[in-house]
Amino acid sequence: MAEDLVFMMGKFEARIPGDRLYSDNHLWLQSCDNAYRVGLTAWSVRLLQDVYFLDWDVDPDTSVRHKQEIGQIESSKAVSALYAPADGRLVAFNEQLLDDPSAINTDGYGNGWLYLLETQAPLLSPAEYVEHLEANWEKTQRLIKGQLN
Amino acid sequence: MAAKKLTVVISQAQGKNPQKRHLEEELAARLIMEPGIDVCIVPHLNDMPVDHSGLLLLKSVSGPIVVLSWLYPRAARWILDRQGVKGHEGVTLLTSEDEDDEELQDDESGKGIGAGDVPNRRLYCIDLRVESTAEPYLEELRRIARENTQETVELLSWIGGNPSGGQLQQFLTPAPEAPAPTNGSAPPAASPETNGNGSTPQPVNLAADETPVKRRWYPVIDYSRCTNCMECIDFCLFGVYGVDTMDRILVEAQDNCKKGCPACSRVCPENAIIFPQHKSPAIAGADGEVAGLKIDLSKLFGGGDQDSLETAIAERDAELVKDGRDAVGMSVGVPKRQADKEPRKRDELDDLMDGLDDMDF
Repeated sequence: MAEDLVFMMGKFEARIPGDRLYSDNHLWLQSCDNAYRVGLTAWSVRLLQDVYFLDWDVDPDTSVRHKQEIGQIESSKAVSALYAPADGRLVAFNEQLLDDPSAINTDGYGNGWLYLLETQAPLLSPAEYVEHLEANWEKTQRLIKGQLN
Repeated sequence: MAAKKLTVVISQAQGKNPQKRHLEEELAARLIMEPGIDVCIVPHLNDMPVDHSGLLLLKSVSGPIVVLSWLYPRAARWILDRQGVKGHEGVTLLTSEDEDDEELQDDESGKGIGAGDVPNRRLYCIDLRVESTAEPYLEELRRIARENTQETVELLSWIGGNPSGGQLQQFLTPAPEAPAPTNGSAPPAASPETNGNGSTPQPVNLAADETPVKRRWYPVIDYSRCTNCMECIDFCLFGVYGVDTMDRILVEAQDNCKKGCPACSRVCPENAIIFPQHKSPAIAGADGEVAGLKIDLSKLFGGGDQDSLETAIAERDAELVKDGRDAVGMSVGVPKRQADKEPRKRDELDDLMDGLDDMDF
């Protein structure tokens, strides 16, 4: 199995497991039956911090388009809409998270998965995702700093 | 002389939302019974024209004022400043839960140029959206009333100062006639000194007596943040901004402002421009910083690719085109300072990131 990679966010090590694929909007996608299990990468969770609210705008078993807004997430420090990583069909949500989203923080690459997605779209390898992170880190910091004013 | 009065102004919500009206009316009815408090009702702060009797009344009060409105406190405070109702920021304990613990003492001591000619009295602004029942407000108002009756020392120092003619006049004749509404339009019932101890107390209602105010749209400047950098005057092509005799930026022609367009607020490097009626809290005057306002990460997770400058430019172009003018895109008045942000030394993000390294993940 491929080795895990690490992306340094300042002093924080964001682990990027080698056993799955990624999307450029910071989700991981791991094959599971005929679909992918989708979750937030360590990079995402690091920026969000403690997630305490998660809500979906679409029903299970619906088609979604790339970048379609499908839900909302809120943490102690941040809010964000959530967007589909690719065209496909959203099969089901992780029901456990709707009661208690804390697994996103405690086990983001495992029990903290968000939903099952069927998609044929090309995805990023771990190395490609880390490259994407590196290429955008300056911009990311600027965007966040811009909001801190 | 009479004990120092606390003037409580209830600024009505726009529209006729029955729940909001109910809270306003209940507060007014109960405040009228409170000793030491004068209460009056005015239309929405944002909408009152400069010669509205509600504003004239506000301007005539020299003592401490509490303004209850459906606005973020920052927005209310700087609308009042804009209208010439000034005072030192009174600290209210009634705030929305988000802005409590991490709130810093940045306001008066910040790097902004500050409001000019601030009289020595406090101005408290309370957001009516914080609590849905009257009781917490009444409690806080009683506390503020106590806080202000104890401050006779400060009052004396004010007497020793140089009050303007109007202030002096009012100080020497503390009670009956309303000093300021000198224009003929002040409604006859508007005796701002209704004191709550009278036999048939009625709240002074300056909202109902006049033709309804129209909704307005304009920016107000938070001078505790504004550094007079002039980015806004360069960016806005509708002549809203100007400078005063001391070259301080001001909103000179507020009604030139294009309804719905908050572009100048987006380009302000200090987030000092408030559009009280904008839907986004950061622009409507919510207390910024990490404490009160959460960081919106939507762009990082795949949301619109525009940054705030691009949004501002698009908004400005849309308004230019509506006016029959040509869109200018990036060619006019694009801020340069924003580009300098990147090499900035340690800042909040670094602190935020590093501070959290100590946490367990």
